[in-house]
Amino acid sequence: MDNSTVEKILKEIERFEPKGNVEHVGRVVSVGDGVVAIDGLSKAVMSEIVEFEETKGKSLKKSFDAEGALYGLVLNLEEDGVRATILGDTARVSEGMTVKSTGRILSVPSGDELLGRVVNALGEPVDGKGPFKKATMMPVERESYGVIDRKGVSVPLATGIKAIDAMIPIGRGQRELIIGDRATGKTTVAIDTIINQKNEPEEKRPICIYVAIGQKESKTARIVQQLKDVDAFSYTIVVDAPASAPAALQFLAPFSGVAIGEYFMDKGRDVLIIYDDLSKQAVAYRELSLLLRRPPGREAYPGDIFYLHSRLLERAACLSDAKGGGSITALPIIETQEGDVSGYIPTNVISITDGQIFLIADLFNKGIRPAIDVGISVSRVGSAAQTKAMKSVAGGIKLELAQFRELEAFMQFASDLDKETADRIESGRRMVEVLKQKNGEPIPVERQVAAIYAANQKFFKDVPVNKVTVVERAFVDFLDANFAATLADIKKTGALSDDAKKKLGKGMEDFRVAHSEYFSLAK
Amino acid sequence: MLENAYAEALQKVARSGKEPKAVVSSLHEALARRGRQALLPRIARAFARIAERDLSRNALVLSVAGAEAKARKETKQVLDAMHVDMKDVEVREDDTLIGGWRLEGREHLYDASFKKHLLSIYNRTIKS
Repeated sequence: MDNSTVEKILKEIERFEPKGNVEHVGRVVSVGDGVVAIDGLSKAVMSEIVEFEETKGKSLKKSFDAEGALYGLVLNLEEDGVRATILGDTARVSEGMTVKSTGRILSVPSGDELLGRVVNALGEPVDGKGPFKKATMMPVERESYGVIDRKGVSVPLATGIKAIDAMIPIGRGQRELIIGDRATGKTTVAIDTIINQKNEPEEKRPICIYVAIGQKESKTARIVQQLKDVDAFSYTIVVDAPASAPAALQFLAPFSGVAIGEYFMDKGRDVLIIYDDLSKQAVAYRELSLLLRRPPGREAYPGDIFYLHSRLLERAACLSDAKGGGSITALPIIETQEGDVSGYIPTNVISITDGQIFLIADLFNKGIRPAIDVGISVSRVGSAAQTKAMKSVAGGIKLELAQFRELEAFMQFASDLDKETADRIESGRRMVEVLKQKNGEPIPVERQVAAIYAANQKFFKDVPVNKVTVVERAFVDFLDANFAATLADIKKTGALSDDAKKKLGKGMEDFRVAHSEYFSLAK
Repeated sequence: MLENAYAEALQKVARSGKEPKAVVSSLHEALARRGRQALLPRIARAFARIAERDLSRNALVLSVAGAEAKARKETKQVLDAMHVDMKDVEVREDDTLIGGWRLEGREHLYDASFKKHLLSIYNRTIKS
């Protein structure tokens, strides 16, 4: 023990006055499965934190050695007492134990200190880098901002994924659902979006929060490592409620994540939050509700399952300038079973969000990645936030691809096709190839614009379909090396001027001359 | 959970001052009329549980370490505020408190023990 500690203790002893102050208490009458019934605590309020008194009857030494305080969260107010969920190890709670009211609503720490850190659903660091020293406490449950405090979505949030930025654009403050079966690339879309924020200027770069709910620890560890490897972890916070965590923590994690995000939003910053995934949160909430003896409804989910997700996603907002102009963009993820989007939870979340990106296993297995079904994917507010440059090149892609998919199906039965149909199919095939992208490699908007502009100009017409992806990449690299000023101009102005179009046309010509070997189909 | 409802009702009637024998006999009659005599053992258990709960809810326990007289003197003010007489308080000796006293019951806890304060000093200085 060092001198300063000794001094501290001596000062504390000097101030010591053995006077008791009154505390409001209850008594544990039953405990099991992470839920505890408490007799008393008649003045407790919903979402209040209660503290279990573990030191009663224990010697001072044993009390010193005890783990940190054990808390519970009040979730049911009943006639004779309350029911609470234990925010920790259930085995530490026993019948007859005294439970103290704290008068505090559950809060989590937030602040710049949390950037580049991994925390649990209670905001406690779990990455071994030590506690937070200057964090601000933010309430986990908070009313979302009202209509007057918000403004329309107008600033784009680039995902770096061509298919999304072109056809299903996302704006800052939007809620865009990522939905699909297992292993169709939902998390990859979300993580690529985080990585792509690196391309944003630091002052405009959104703070990214990744909330892992019911995920394997190994998956979360892999994501953290991936973000570290590409230098994207410095502006990211990971909230981890793994599959091994109690249902209460899995249910709380998204609320903790958004509470952390609100700190930054209130300071005028932009935030991107990913909930991976809300299906697992719904299952955790169902488990908790059944244990709390709340009446089950459809598929045994409680009656307020819609409210659970709506109150969470309503906290994503684009604030008015009077409120600082910050925003929270939410990308919730929902896992479907066998592509069924008409399930209870998927339809709930679809109706709450401002659009959805639907990923399908068939496309994924065909090698079309990201496996986005553009037919049923939609962004309801994002187009207002799309840059002029992207809008000008992306206008007809969605229709073209939809027509291509229809013709592609028809083509399997028709042996003889007229030239126009055949051309459309060839063009569609090439467009699909242009929109393909490797995971972990988001592309800046100006490069996307250049690639899609070239595809619209039928630049890849003479390139064999299986080479389009390679040629597209080589072409954009070529532009980067020789027409950097044009790309920089598109990035800066967000528009595709006539001059820029001319320069891109020149770039296409130069590339075609320099790499004639790629255009083997030219007659 | 029918037995709980009957037990609660039984307790209410018993509290009203009726003779226990008369209360039980009218309960028996009521159950017989509805063909629910089989519930009687379960009602008895529920009644015992509720009575025990009420007892523990109303009980006041004063835990003291060392000087009991001093603790009694110090708690008098608290008990007066609660309109409770000292003779209704169960006094227990608890050496783990090291010194001071602790009064618990009726949803309130007054902890003036040395242990509590030593623990808070420890948590403030060593653990933080």
